[in-house]
Amino acid sequence: MSTPQSVRQLARYPLIPVIIVMAIAFEASTGSFVGQQNLLGIATDSATLAIVAVPTAMLVISGYLDLSVGSTYALGAVAAGWLASEHNGSMLGCVLLALLAGVAVGAVNGLLCCGLGLSPFIVTLGTLTAVRGIAQQLAPLPQTGFSESFAWLGGSKVAGLPSPVIIAILVVLVAGFVLVATPLGRHIYAIGVSREAAYLSGVRVRMVPFGLFLLTGALAALAGAIKASVLGAVQSGTAGLGFELAVLTAVLVGGVALAGGSGSLVGVVLGVAFLGILQNGLTLLGVPTFWQQVAQGVALIVAAGLAYLSPRLEAMTAPRPEAPKPVPVPA
Amino acid sequence: MSQPADLSRRRFLGWTGGAGAAVLLAACSAPSSSSDAKDKVAKSSKDVDKIGFDYPFTFLPVYAGVTKFAKARAKEVGVDLTQTSDNGRPDVQTSNLDTLIAQKVPAIVSFPMVFEALETQAAAARSAGLIWVTYGGTLKNQSASITFSFEEGGRLLGEDAATWAKENLGGKGKIAFLVDDTIQLGRERTKGMMDAFTKAAPDMEVVGREQAIDPDTGLSKIKAILAKHPDLNMVLGITDGAAFGGYKALVEAGRAESDAKTYVGGQDGDLGSLELIKKGTFYRASAALQLRDIGNAVIDVPLAVADGKSDADASADVPIALVKQGDSLLDEIISQYA
Repeated sequence: MSTPQSVRQLARYPLIPVIIVMAIAFEASTGSFVGQQNLLGIATDSATLAIVAVPTAMLVISGYLDLSVGSTYALGAVAAGWLASEHNGSMLGCVLLALLAGVAVGAVNGLLCCGLGLSPFIVTLGTLTAVRGIAQQLAPLPQTGFSESFAWLGGSKVAGLPSPVIIAILVVLVAGFVLVATPLGRHIYAIGVSREAAYLSGVRVRMVPFGLFLLTGALAALAGAIKASVLGAVQSGTAGLGFELAVLTAVLVGGVALAGGSGSLVGVVLGVAFLGILQNGLTLLGVPTFWQQVAQGVALIVAAGLAYLSPRLEAMTAPRPEAPKPVPVPA
Repeated sequence: MSQPADLSRRRFLGWTGGAGAAVLLAACSAPSSSSDAKDKVAKSSKDVDKIGFDYPFTFLPVYAGVTKFAKARAKEVGVDLTQTSDNGRPDVQTSNLDTLIAQKVPAIVSFPMVFEALETQAAAARSAGLIWVTYGGTLKNQSASITFSFEEGGRLLGEDAATWAKENLGGKGKIAFLVDDTIQLGRERTKGMMDAFTKAAPDMEVVGREQAIDPDTGLSKIKAILAKHPDLNMVLGITDGAAFGGYKALVEAGRAESDAKTYVGGQDGDLGSLELIKKGTFYRASAALQLRDIGNAVIDVPLAVADGKSDADASADVPIALVKQGDSLLDEIISQYA
């Protein structure tokens, strides 16, 4: 008997039942989880995480890693904040400047990792520290008093949805399309599975990850600019502090293999939602700080366990090939 | 092809032997005699050509403000100000202080992340004839201190908020605290703020006590609390950064910026928060640090010790002031950020 399609999907994305159970539990215990305001709040808070988690996931799938996104986020916020406060910059100008700053960080990471073949872990750990220093050097004091045009970036709504959520949805859709329906997407997976085999197949094994570094840097800086616009202020020392850990957690909990070669953006989006819902629910419950840390740690381990079991469950629920029909023996 | 085992062993022994010899030589050449140390003792402020400023929380906006004034004062008196980079880590702080002591920097001003943990460094500095000034508190082994009571800052804010609650809410309403339980100064501020408020306004309902020191976390925590308690009246923050995030969450939820039944307050005296106070919004108060006074003290206190003043005479106690709309001090502190 074949397993129903819905069961197979659940086996492929085990975070779906986990998120459903969490939502039911938080609603039952607080009575205010499944409210429009709260759900929009979670979506808005998670939007910047999704915007950065998506390109990071693509980078990890290709076998690379970027730990500098937290500091790039801060640099993007500082760059946009500077233009918005000191020069009354337009939203477009602020966004472009942030993207430029992010691309610059991505280019350094890409050149060192893809061009020179240095370890992405060590290189991006170095840029994580260096870029934070640059951001703090550029703006040691808090930035406030942004232009109204810039405030629109994080404060406007389109069809009832906050603009950060709209931007996150666009990022997910475009990246999803690239990853699933284009040769570039297949190349990203191929490089992650086997660099040598991809090279021999004619895939540009340096340029593709280099481009992904640029994209990750640009979107991390954009996320910083969005958050600066939402808050109406930038503190270069605390902006995006520890953000890289949240991004990496969302990516890995979403089922992307750190070794590269496998993972899906649906899983990453579920990972982002899982983290957002967990954080929000624990706050709603009023769980003390240190117990929140314990709960988050345990939940992450459980999610990681499910991500580990997912391929096995998928294999178990996959439709079995029909037995070959006996070849009639000629009389 | 693999190397012969004896060759790699010989190389290993060579390396370790060389490293050991280097360590021994360094130990033998390290100045350890008390007479040598005494040569470095500052006999007057003229002997202090360099001051080491060790501030571990470089990510806080206050750091930039204090450093700005300390640098200006150092330039004024012709002293070189050298700074550490501890990245908010006690182990890095200890290591950096050991370096300053080994370099015989004549005066060290240090803000201990864990006060008890730095008694050893303070004692080592003093026995080497260096001046040790404790920032933000006191140690047993010190030449002098620069103090400003973190608990007092919290208390000032808590009391003002409680008075406001009684006058504007009849003492009945909902409050959320954004706190810090992770470091000593945070715990002191939290205790001062919460104890003072709950004692003076016991009928107020505490609907949240969440960890938050930055605007982003403050925003998301208060957003979540508002989902359950849309009638939240008050937010008090351990830092102005966190309280600023709380303010944004309330505005985002549709609260008018000058709502008469809402109170947000923080600590530090960050520029963004002070501007909101000045504008007349419901961000009503900040327990502000006097950046210029603290920055000047970072230079003046060790120089006073070098000129022979005692701990009691040289030490500076910089008051934390609660600033509200209309206070002359509000404009003064805002101008310090310029």
